Amino acid sequence: MIDFFMGMMRMGIIEVRNLTFKYANSDKPSLYNINLSIDKGEFLLITGPTGCGKTTLCKCLNGLIPNSYNGDFNGEVIIDGLSTKEHPVHEIAQHVGLVFQDPENELFCTSVEKEIAFGPENLGLSREEIRRRVEEAMAMVGISHLRERSPYELSGGEQQKVAIAALLAMKPKILVLDEPTSNLDPFSAYSILNLLFNLKKEYEMTIILIEHRLDMVAKIVDRCVIMNEGRIIAIGPPEEVLYSDIVESIGIGIPKIVKLVKTLGLSSRPLSSNVLADILKVKK
Amino acid sequence: MKVFYFEYKRESSIIHKLDPRAKLVYLILFTILTVYFTNPIILFLIFLSSLPMAILGKIVKKWIISIKGSLFFIVFIFIFNFIGIFWTTGNIIDTIIISIAMAIRFVSLISIFSIFFLSTSPEDLMQSMIKLKLPYEYVLTFNMAMRFVPTLAREAQTIIDAQKSRGLEFEKGNIFQKVKKYIPILIPLIISSLRRAEIIADAMESRAFGASKTRSFLYTITMSKIDFIFIIICIIIFTLFILIFKDILLHTIGLNS
Amino acid sequence: MIEFHNVFFSYQPGKDILKNINLKVNKGELLAILGPNGAGKTTLIKHINGLLKPQRGYVEVLGMNTKETTVAVLARHVGFVFQNPDHQLFAETVEKEIMFALINFNFPENEIKERVEKILHELDLIEYRNRSPFMLSGGERKRVALASVLCYDPSILILDEPTIGQDYRQKLNLINLINKLNKEGKTVIIVTHDIEFVADFIPRCIIMSDGRIVADGPTEEVLTNSKLLLENSLLPPQLVEISLALNISPPTINFEKLVSFIRKIIESEE
Repeated sequence: MIDFFMGMMRMGIIEVRNLTFKYANSDKPSLYNINLSIDKGEFLLITGPTGCGKTTLCKCLNGLIPNSYNGDFNGEVIIDGLSTKEHPVHEIAQHVGLVFQDPENELFCTSVEKEIAFGPENLGLSREEIRRRVEEAMAMVGISHLRERSPYELSGGEQQKVAIAALLAMKPKILVLDEPTSNLDPFSAYSILNLLFNLKKEYEMTIILIEHRLDMVAKIVDRCVIMNEGRIIAIGPPEEVLYSDIVESIGIGIPKIVKLVKTLGLSSRPLSSNVLADILKVKK
Repeated sequence: MKVFYFEYKRESSIIHKLDPRAKLVYLILFTILTVYFTNPIILFLIFLSSLPMAILGKIVKKWIISIKGSLFFIVFIFIFNFIGIFWTTGNIIDTIIISIAMAIRFVSLISIFSIFFLSTSPEDLMQSMIKLKLPYEYVLTFNMAMRFVPTLAREAQTIIDAQKSRGLEFEKGNIFQKVKKYIPILIPLIISSLRRAEIIADAMESRAFGASKTRSFLYTITMSKIDFIFIIICIIIFTLFILIFKDILLHTIGLNS
Repeated sequence: MIEFHNVFFSYQPGKDILKNINLKVNKGELLAILGPNGAGKTTLIKHINGLLKPQRGYVEVLGMNTKETTVAVLARHVGFVFQNPDHQLFAETVEKEIMFALINFNFPENEIKERVEKILHELDLIEYRNRSPFMLSGGERKRVALASVLCYDPSILILDEPTIGQDYRQKLNLINLINKLNKEGKTVIIVTHDIEFVADFIPRCIIMSDGRIVADGPTEEVLTNSKLLLENSLLPPQLVEISLALNISPPTINFEKLVSFIRKIIESEE
């Protein structure tokens, strides 16, 4: 009885249970038996070599799979209480926002303001409510000054912020981002990652991030999921996962500080150079 | 390569602020006038009537560029008509008059259309189509296509650069070989557009496209007094032209003047 | 081999994209060009194969003045791999894709066959030879684009953002290939944002900012100058950032050196 209640309490805002998925035109599954429970307000990192299934998993997290993509879908994905098999994408989209890699191709309106209004317009909201949401989203992301601009004129970093704002206007509790910084220069990348951290901290959003730049994100995420060949091979807090041997063996870009500490044979597991400095008692 | 004579740019002129439906009335009425008359002098007058529109719209420079850009076609139409009519009638004076008329008619049409597109934002155009009860999906597709024109142009240039870097030379070869050389440009452009379409579809769904049958709009267009006045002026000019020049119209329908 | 003399370039009058560029690259060098967006990196490299010609100053490649030479002639010696392979791929099969440049450059038929075989083997594309390039994965398409440029053996190779979207293992494969080509005598120039990649693998580094070259030298010197990097909107490489946090002077991008420095710190504590 108590176990039942404990189980209920531990139900995350996203529950992935025994998920296996194979695209229709593929010979083998892209995801094998994925089990994952994500807590509300968590900042989760998903990473792994190219082809490990990260993008496929993302699309399962907002319902695009199985609703818009054909294939063999086994298992369950429950988002904020809704099973993705039983609810259409446009309903799930009000709980989860998905940001893609290449912002130039996900912005299709003629001005930033209209881009952000697109989502709420689809929901048939009143003009006042749409206006309110647009202003709020722009303020949350810090792009109010760009409202009249045309998306294709903007820099990559600005475009990505517009994409994020456009999703925030849907008021989702969860944001999923598929390598949002891969086309950006390091400064813009840093700016986006900072924004995500603030969204989690100030607005208690659940953030699921696919990212290769592990050195930039290791310090700000709560848990890491490492995938390889369609499976989850490691999951846990970054200081555990990034220091583990299994992760070293699959050849992802481990932060240099981890490599350094492991080579030196130190017992602690810092993720930032300041912490390392403290450990070595370096006088600043 | 400046291809986009018809590209809308924000401006604070009266013409820009007019409801697109009012401008649509202008477009239709004056197009009818242009097609209706065949006398070069009348056609020239109709053409001149776009001048105040261009001036009020503060788009005179761009308007001139549009016309200059179609110079090739104007000359082509003149020559084409010249040869055709002379062959049929043998009458040199008629031939010249009608060829000039056709050329002016073409310029007139270019002028009217360019004023419309230069002063109407794609957003407003889309709104007017919605108000005209066209289905939203088609209107959106049209609008999106316009939005991606600059992106495609940039991509085309990159693709041309990439293929030139592999030794593709556009200048060499006869006409057939030259046309074949566009295949390595068109195919990547088409494939890229297809890939883009898939991503956009995902992005749209992820923002609940199709959630509600009664979609709302942040911005909408409403007709004001100025729009109605403008429409009335257009109708008056239209009627005047028809009434005053009716006789000349009937007169020039036959080829003997 | 490549020389830029006081080069100025702009797309529109009044807005110079390249401002007084002076650059010399010798045969067999391996170098990277770094810099924020809009610095002019892509504009600069397009001058090397003649896609763009300078308005003032001149560019000499292999003794040829680019203003007096066509792109086709320069392209025979300068292989340019663009960032997005989808902007190049158009043929029905991978094999035909690779043959494209060879045909354009009028290679004799038997040589074309030989070269295609060779490059398919070298880049591990033999099993894909009759497949449509559009059906391949992103990484495979990148390899096909690279193969279609390497097959005609240009003495200069330019790669525009080759590391975007690549995971760590793919980047290692890339640098192995680049080093192999470099050892064969090819001059290789890489334009990138990936400062870690440059710090780890590329011996010479140029930083561009606002149309000018603001640094040009051995990577160990250029990328350890964090003041210069920050002034030009670049984040220092991880090892430099760690060196600074540990008060190690001068900072280093060399992993082994940093390890021994830290070992000394630990020993001095004990």
